[in-house]
Amino acid sequence: MHVHEINPKKTLITLTIFVIVIIVGLLTITNPRLEYKLTPNETVELVVWDDSYVFPYELEDVIVGAVDTVILIDIRNTFDFSRGHIPGAENISAVELLSEDNIKRLKKLQKEGICVLIYGETQLQANGPWMVFRQLGFSNVKSLMGGYQYYALWKDNLADSYGDDGYLLGAADFDYSDIASNVNIDENEGDSEKTSITVNRRKKSTVAEGGC
Amino acid sequence: MNKNYFILFGLLIVLSGGLLFLPEKTNYVQQSPESLMWDIVQPTRYISTDQVAKLIIEKDPLFQLVDVRPDYDFEAFSLPNSFNIPIDSILTDEANDIFNIEDVNTIFLSDDDIKADQAWVIAKRMGYKSVYVMKGGLNCWIRTIIQPQKPSESAPITEFELYNFRKGASIYFTGAELSTNSDIKQEVSITRKKKETVAEGGC
Amino acid sequence: MGPLIPLGQISSGWDFIIALIIGIAFGFILEASGFSSSRNITGVFYGYNFVVLRFFFTAVIVAMIGLEYFDYMGWIDLNMIYILPTYLSPMIVGAIIMGVGFIIGGFCPGTSYTAIAIGKLDAIVFTLGLFLGIFIFSEIFPYIEDFYYSGNMGNITISEVLGISNKLFTFIFVIIAVIAFYVTWLIEKKVRKTINPYKFE
Repeated sequence: MHVHEINPKKTLITLTIFVIVIIVGLLTITNPRLEYKLTPNETVELVVWDDSYVFPYELEDVIVGAVDTVILIDIRNTFDFSRGHIPGAENISAVELLSEDNIKRLKKLQKEGICVLIYGETQLQANGPWMVFRQLGFSNVKSLMGGYQYYALWKDNLADSYGDDGYLLGAADFDYSDIASNVNIDENEGDSEKTSITVNRRKKSTVAEGGC
Repeated sequence: MNKNYFILFGLLIVLSGGLLFLPEKTNYVQQSPESLMWDIVQPTRYISTDQVAKLIIEKDPLFQLVDVRPDYDFEAFSLPNSFNIPIDSILTDEANDIFNIEDVNTIFLSDDDIKADQAWVIAKRMGYKSVYVMKGGLNCWIRTIIQPQKPSESAPITEFELYNFRKGASIYFTGAELSTNSDIKQEVSITRKKKETVAEGGC
Repeated sequence: MGPLIPLGQISSGWDFIIALIIGIAFGFILEASGFSSSRNITGVFYGYNFVVLRFFFTAVIVAMIGLEYFDYMGWIDLNMIYILPTYLSPMIVGAIIMGVGFIIGGFCPGTSYTAIAIGKLDAIVFTLGLFLGIFIFSEIFPYIEDFYYSGNMGNITISEVLGISNKLFTFIFVIIAVIAFYVTWLIEKKVRKTINPYKFE
């Protein structure tokens, strides 16, 4: 007498359990709510080749309402926001921006081709959140060069900032090796003459062009 | 042969065939976007140039500097003992080896802090712990450490202490001669390596 | 979630307890499948009983399919599983020696212990021979050490050698197993005059 003959259904029962475990496992896979759309390598490409910044002088069209395909989002805290912000900006913190409702809204905006411009006190503050949203696949999220500080400096004559490049980041202000090798401590002023930076400035977009 | 065996055969083939339709899985652990965002909004990742100067002078073994500028910039000028990992090669195996050293904190730096911050976001997403960013980057390094500004007369004492530290550090990093004002307290103990004589030889 | 010990879910002190539990289960299944009988084992060689082959093929394909699904579902990380290094030529020689011993003795190392457990005298003799063989091997080991470590291919898997994905290899292997089941059944039918298959609904 073989073990199978004691309970002839043993094999089928075992296999049924096996199949049920796999099916239950497949059904209960928890898909994370948010998933990276860009692979790490694509993210590196993004930050090396990115061109999705908005130049401060481009803001003027947005503020006067000539371009209605841009939404401004201020990710600073409410206190800073209440002290001054770019006209028309909404105050949503970076973490809040990841909430279900806001993600839904961002998706809708992306479909409609509306650009979401996020800014912080400095460009650095908006940099991380901007990268997260780009990695989540929101190609319509852009970051304001120079941040709010630069805007506040130029807010009365924003268009004139076209000729200024104080908002440019990511470039060397000094010829480090030159400075580091001959420093005279007593010259405290330190002639920090800027080396001429070659700026590939985007042409000022006409009002009609607008948007992203 | 019992026909139930054929049911079993069919079941196994269907199960294994189903494997072929499963999407490919990424085989690295990434930080979720939510917790990445939480890390981003904390300012704790920033390390000031003064702290970095201190770490270099004290030769702190628990910190390593990673310069994310392109290699030609790195060759022209770099901070002492810093590694060069240009931002486009941040996912290579060599970079992984450097980030993965146990108990060693990595500080990213670039011309300013944007590129270093971007490198930080990528490293954080890839699950590396204990990574930091040098606030202000090398531009700030030059302004604060190499060419410190003398505080105004009415500034608090801490400002002067900081200034004295920076001046000392500047000397350390540039080897500039100090035309001494006698009241300068030097906080930095400079332990410059003695020039070895030939007789001493290697190890 | 898994593997449990490398990921630190449980401490490494548990490995002996887990090994004990798995060992009890393994011995139970071997005995329940009739592997304490050397007739079943040598039957593969004489062609009248392929239950060993079917048993192990079934175990392997169920484990393969299960692990692949578990890997996909995130229950176990197959990249962290330790893979024994492959020494090709020593393994071939070792497999031949083991196969010969298999047929002559009628036991494999595992089944000889289950046979001892049910009190078979030949299994006791087999196990004594097993220890004698281990003793002789360790005495002559210095002379064959070079061969023992030759042909190291590292921690590779068949799918890596063939350059195909694990999932595709699992599928191919299941097909091979099913074909083997059918072919062995045909051979058994031919060799045995009176075939009396297990009743199984």
